[in-house]
Amino acid sequence: MTAPSLAPALSYRRPAFSLGRWFEQPNVFSWLMVTPPVLFLAALVGYPFFYGIWLSLMNRPVASEGTFIGFANYVQAWHDPVFWQVVLNTFVYTAVATLLKMFGGLGLALVMNQDFRFKNLTRALLLLPFIVPTVLSTIAWQWILDPAFSIVNWTLVALNLVTPPGPSWLGNPHLAMGSLIVVNVWRGLPFYAITLLAGLQTISPELYEAATIDGATTWDRFRFVTLPLMKPVIFIVTMFSVIFTFADFQLIYVLTHGGPANATQVFATYAFDIAMTGGQFGQGAAIALTMVPPLALLILAMALYLRPDKTT
Amino acid sequence: MISVSRGSRREFLKRTALGAAGTLMAPSIVRAAPRALTMMHESSFIPPFDAFFKNKLAAAYEKATGVKVNYDIVSVGGLLTRVTTAAENGTGPDMSTVGFNWAYLFDEKLIDVSDIAEEIGKDSGGWYDNAKEAVVVNGKWKAIPYANIGQLMNWRTDWFKEAGYEKFPDTWDELLEAGIKLKKNGHPFGFELGHGFGDNHGWLYPLLWSYGGREVEADGKTIVIDSDETARAVDYCRRLYKETMLEDCLAWTDVSNNKAFLSEQISCTNNAESILWAAKKDFPEMAKVIDQSQNPKGPKGRFHMLNPQAHAIFAHTPDKQVAKDFLRWLMKPEQLGPWYDIAVTYYQPFLHKYDDAAMWKVEPRNIPFRDATASAHLPGWPAPLSRAQSETIAKYVVIDMFAKACTGKSTKDVIAEAKAQLQQIYKTA
Repeated sequence: MTAPSLAPALSYRRPAFSLGRWFEQPNVFSWLMVTPPVLFLAALVGYPFFYGIWLSLMNRPVASEGTFIGFANYVQAWHDPVFWQVVLNTFVYTAVATLLKMFGGLGLALVMNQDFRFKNLTRALLLLPFIVPTVLSTIAWQWILDPAFSIVNWTLVALNLVTPPGPSWLGNPHLAMGSLIVVNVWRGLPFYAITLLAGLQTISPELYEAATIDGATTWDRFRFVTLPLMKPVIFIVTMFSVIFTFADFQLIYVLTHGGPANATQVFATYAFDIAMTGGQFGQGAAIALTMVPPLALLILAMALYLRPDKTT
Repeated sequence: MISVSRGSRREFLKRTALGAAGTLMAPSIVRAAPRALTMMHESSFIPPFDAFFKNKLAAAYEKATGVKVNYDIVSVGGLLTRVTTAAENGTGPDMSTVGFNWAYLFDEKLIDVSDIAEEIGKDSGGWYDNAKEAVVVNGKWKAIPYANIGQLMNWRTDWFKEAGYEKFPDTWDELLEAGIKLKKNGHPFGFELGHGFGDNHGWLYPLLWSYGGREVEADGKTIVIDSDETARAVDYCRRLYKETMLEDCLAWTDVSNNKAFLSEQISCTNNAESILWAAKKDFPEMAKVIDQSQNPKGPKGRFHMLNPQAHAIFAHTPDKQVAKDFLRWLMKPEQLGPWYDIAVTYYQPFLHKYDDAAMWKVEPRNIPFRDATASAHLPGWPAPLSRAQSETIAKYVVIDMFAKACTGKSTKDVIAEAKAQLQQIYKTA
């Protein structure tokens, strides 16, 4: 306790401690706001991630103690021929599906940005593939892609384009990858289109008017007004799409389970099979984690390439 | 957009909170009650089988002993994940069905039940030898096998007759011959060659073995997949696929062949009893022209796939004796007999007492399933149980060796790839 005589002078210079004011200090308040999400991320993302790294350095069969083996799991993956097929499959799947979604989504967004009858209804319906749970819509696709019941094969046969039963969409290794990409694009397109549509609507009509007065054609307006302004949105949505597509699991697991003969096996399905069916957690973790560096590089490259131009 | 009124939202929150609290408290309630057990099972293809346990067996046991037995059903394909979670975390159900080599995988997390197993064997005419193949780990029974779900040939008698076959072909070569004729008549075969769980292994391993091929020797170390015998089996499979099957078989998973058979796309497949069962229920006319037969034989004999179902007790079970008593009671003929009966013969017993049980007289077409049990083995046979076995299955090494040959790769290449994978898996490279 301090001497009472000093108290008034002190309280005049420095008001008594107030919790409210303390909270309002920028450096305290900012930490206060940031801490819960950081803890949340640390618990739900950070911990599993680092635990995953730890697991990948262990020989850790299910239901038994693990032993530390360094990078042996990664070395094993390196020498595993299926692993390289998985790498190739994942890249093909991600690259083709993302490009199709990007161009398709942009096209769809441009169309949706026009005025037409039932515009709102169409926009709402557009989201349907995205809303339906993946496993459910994938089961519907299973029927569409089954030659015996396929509406596609039925149509092709009816038009005399193929001999019955028609192509085996999932049984032929090349068609299987193509079919999976189509289903992925069908599912992911609405996300692209709606996000890009939101971006399009933020572009001020005055810019288009000004461009038109300057004699810009429709293509010019798209090339010099729409595209540069849309770059940040395209970047964000592509980044998300690459991550989702790269780590896709449900769709492939339900439709082909990585078959035929690993023609559609990707990182997520292969890692899951090895960890859960094979009971080798260490190996599964190592394979899943090899996804991280290429994904990080891809995102970095995209960030550099699609960086919004500071001068505009 | 979905609009939620304030009242209903509050109601929703309240219900969610109550539900969550209930879920959190549930395990502690079960733990607190001293005499309650939980048995985990994969959802049976024969629904009355599950219902019988829940309504009859559990009720009878509770009445007799006061011990409540909960029956926790897991969806098809999800059991291994649930068993893994329970074993890893040391919580959850007290007992579970285990299949394949899980008794070995989860060895440390399961208790020794040799005493009950021997007692049951003595009471019920003795065990089939291959029952032990799946559950005896280091000389100890880690689970009590209660059934095999055999995989046999399912075929259409009317279409085979049309092609000149009164009986099912006895050898793989004759099967190929028949298949060529049947495909010409518009009735191709359809055997799963994709990444399913059961129907692919169900015929490809027996095919390999019956030609004398195998992955690894009985020592569990020497990789012997690269042999003339394997090459002959691979060549045969390629011909069977190209000359008798639908192209789509390469993508098939376990439901595909049932669907194709019941929609009259195919005339023959390898499957459990589920096709005939479903046909009797939904397509009685078709059911009259379906038959089931043992797998054809090859130069080195006739083989089948072992698909064992066994009950294991987790080491985390608080009162192990209560669980053991229950299993002992469950396996007594008074309980087990009626339980088998309800599923007719979908579950084939591993105990000789049931070899001539009444259930075999209900449907004579199921008898081949009984006769096939003795020649059934686990993937990886004749090597002992191992983790490598699971890894081989998870990587579809043998399945894809055959599947790749069917897509046109050379026999030499597919065997070399399988060999390289097996050497890596068995750590012998």
